[in-house]
Amino acid sequence: MIVLDRLTKRFGSQTAVDELSFAVPAGQIVGFLGPNGAGKSTTLRMLTGLIEPTSGTARVAGFDLQRDPIEVKRRVGFVPESGAVFESLSGLEYLEMVAALYGIPPKAARARIEQFISFFDLGFDTLTDKLLGAYSKGMRRKVVITAALLHNPPVVFFDEPLDGLDANAAVGFKALIQALAREGKTIVYSSHILDVVERVCHRVIIIDRGRLLLDGKPEELVAAHQAGSLERLFTQVTGGAELERRAEDFGRTFRS
Amino acid sequence: MSDPAAAGAATAGDARIASQARILRRLFLTLFLRGRGARGLRRGTAPKSIAQKLWVTLALYALTGCLALLFRRQSVFALGVYLHAMTFMFLGMFVASSAGEVLFNQEEGDILLHRPVQPRTLLWAKVRVLVEVSLWVAGAFNLVGCLAGAMGRGGSWLFPLAHALSTTLEAVFCTSSVVLVYQLCLGWFGRERLEGLMTTTQVLFTIVTVMAAQLVPRLVMHPHAISGVGIGAGWIVLLPPAWFAGLDDALAGTGAPSSWLLGLVAVAASAAVLWSAFGRLALTYESGLRALNERGSGRGRPRGRRRWLDRLVSAPPLCWWFRDPVTRASFVLTSAYLFRDRDTKLRLYPGISPMLIMPFVVLFQGGTRGGFRHGGFSTAFASGYLGLIPLFSMSLLQYSQHWQAADVFRAAPLAGPAAICRGARRAVLCFLTFPVLLLFGLVIGWFMRGTPDWVLLLPGVVTMPVYALIPNLGGRAVPFSSPIEGAKSVGRGLRMFGVMMVAVVLSGLAGWARHLGWFWPFLLAECFGVLVACAVMTRSIGAEVWASLE
Repeated sequence: MIVLDRLTKRFGSQTAVDELSFAVPAGQIVGFLGPNGAGKSTTLRMLTGLIEPTSGTARVAGFDLQRDPIEVKRRVGFVPESGAVFESLSGLEYLEMVAALYGIPPKAARARIEQFISFFDLGFDTLTDKLLGAYSKGMRRKVVITAALLHNPPVVFFDEPLDGLDANAAVGFKALIQALAREGKTIVYSSHILDVVERVCHRVIIIDRGRLLLDGKPEELVAAHQAGSLERLFTQVTGGAELERRAEDFGRTFRS
Repeated sequence: MSDPAAAGAATAGDARIASQARILRRLFLTLFLRGRGARGLRRGTAPKSIAQKLWVTLALYALTGCLALLFRRQSVFALGVYLHAMTFMFLGMFVASSAGEVLFNQEEGDILLHRPVQPRTLLWAKVRVLVEVSLWVAGAFNLVGCLAGAMGRGGSWLFPLAHALSTTLEAVFCTSSVVLVYQLCLGWFGRERLEGLMTTTQVLFTIVTVMAAQLVPRLVMHPHAISGVGIGAGWIVLLPPAWFAGLDDALAGTGAPSSWLLGLVAVAASAAVLWSAFGRLALTYESGLRALNERGSGRGRPRGRRRWLDRLVSAPPLCWWFRDPVTRASFVLTSAYLFRDRDTKLRLYPGISPMLIMPFVVLFQGGTRGGFRHGGFSTAFASGYLGLIPLFSMSLLQYSQHWQAADVFRAAPLAGPAAICRGARRAVLCFLTFPVLLLFGLVIGWFMRGTPDWVLLLPGVVTMPVYALIPNLGGRAVPFSSPIEGAKSVGRGLRMFGVMMVAVVLSGLAGWARHLGWFWPFLLAECFGVLVACAVMTRSIGAEVWASLE
């Protein structure tokens, strides 16, 4: 469903994504991990058509990203890390606008929006009365997730989707993506909350400095590296273990 | 839930695009009327505010348009030139100041770029909204002008229709020109320099429109100033407002061949610019939007090398001026935004460009009438206009896309915004006011050498500190602390207009005092007044505490 072949992105002399290649079949939930600045968001932004790759190719849902960008976009849902929305629209206006951009008739759009409203426990009054600028971060995130799933895309990219969601909503969200995967949707899930990734994802891909470090099932990778947990494994391969020692040093220096 | 791919395939492509175009147009119009950011307001109250303000703005434009009655005895062409030159200025400034936010909004990428929308559809929807709002502005301003044309010398009932057509063409021409210039900059210079270029382009466009609007009517109304000026003059074909005035004259005036020629140029130029901006270069638009979404690009600063700003504030004389670390930090912050932040630059420089240009226009206008020798008022008024630079700058600097980040000022252990505002004022003084004053001084030093009129610049210069303090009264205009929608406030515009009128009155008084031989006592009194006002205002600003955030 998603195939990357030596996908590369350079910003001037800096290489953000360096010949990244992997494939994700339909129905799989992939945890896309890496430390800050590893190139995760840049990869997702390339795969959703927000930025142009410098070289390499990618196919999403059977369409070439560079040759058929509109067909790719039609089949992709994206929750960006920024959670940006048009703040001066009400939640309902925003969702109806998004539905219309995908050619969903108003009646069908309203029915789908209502499904999400009841799933996320969003009050309909809030959605119609308040402008998005007045929403809490969690509420806004729910609207952004709804906007990404409204057109029922076969491929969904989530970039830090749990940011701002309360514990209940987060549990609901995890159950939702598992249900979506069972329906055959391909989900790429980028997050720093590794225990969630470990529990939800069928597979993890870890990148650093734009390059692929590890790719496999979480339990197999953890066992192969004798790490005990995905978090341990992540710190081992990305140099995070060093940070614990540095934090100790910092604490001592800061006290004195 | 149904499969969207199937749903997408079922819908005819063209129908989808038509529908998307309508939806996007409605979206951008709503965003324009409501503003892009809204904090804590309900739909019932927030959306109306900017639309209501827009009505007040249109009413003000209509009022300004009444000046066209002064031209009712002029020919249709002369009236047309006046109306189109002023319309060109208003539209040029409006489009240039809105285009950056509307056409290249960085946040919008995350919302719309991953949706199945053709870049051409997106661009067209935005431009339609820009043209639509431009036409409201143009319509309000030209309302009285149309009546003056219909009832004036050589006019007919056809004038309102002809003028409506030419004004619509002018709005299309203005908007398409701005879009085209952006596209060309993007195509020629690439993304690395896009942001800087967009700002420069916008500032230059505003300056050109202000100059054109000031110069063209004067040249046409005063044919003795330059021999051979008139409808048949060859050089007039170089001035866009004259093309559209030619169309007015061709359809509702003399119908002279030269008018038809100018009208033809108007139609051809509008069509060519429209076709180039949307037909040829629409694809560049997508790469422009994508370019804005590329984060973390560009070359890094060599390790260990300090920024010039840090070095500047650490070295004398500035380090003596910044003993207070908060003022110093605010100075660095404001200076960094003045030079680096695209959003700030796009609002600030076009916003103050009339202040940069008008003193020269006023001065030279006085000069063409012998003003360097006798025109006391124009010289005094020119410097009075310069005094408004810190006022406008401080007022515009309070708006930022990053306004929520300004909460850090409140979180810091500061009783009020005084020190923050002081730092911002000093940055405006150092990087905007002093350089312009220096340039102005050099220009008038050259043109007014040997004349004693230069002293008339002093009353305007002396008042600068007062103007700079005005925006901070009442704890307002804390740098980068307000959402950008506030910049469109009519109330703010009216306050600015009020202060401008005070500058006019002061300039008049200075010229009058000089005429009566009381100039130096007048200046002394003004200096005393300024000192007292500064002391009172500084005290008042220093006593301000943070207002509660609602």
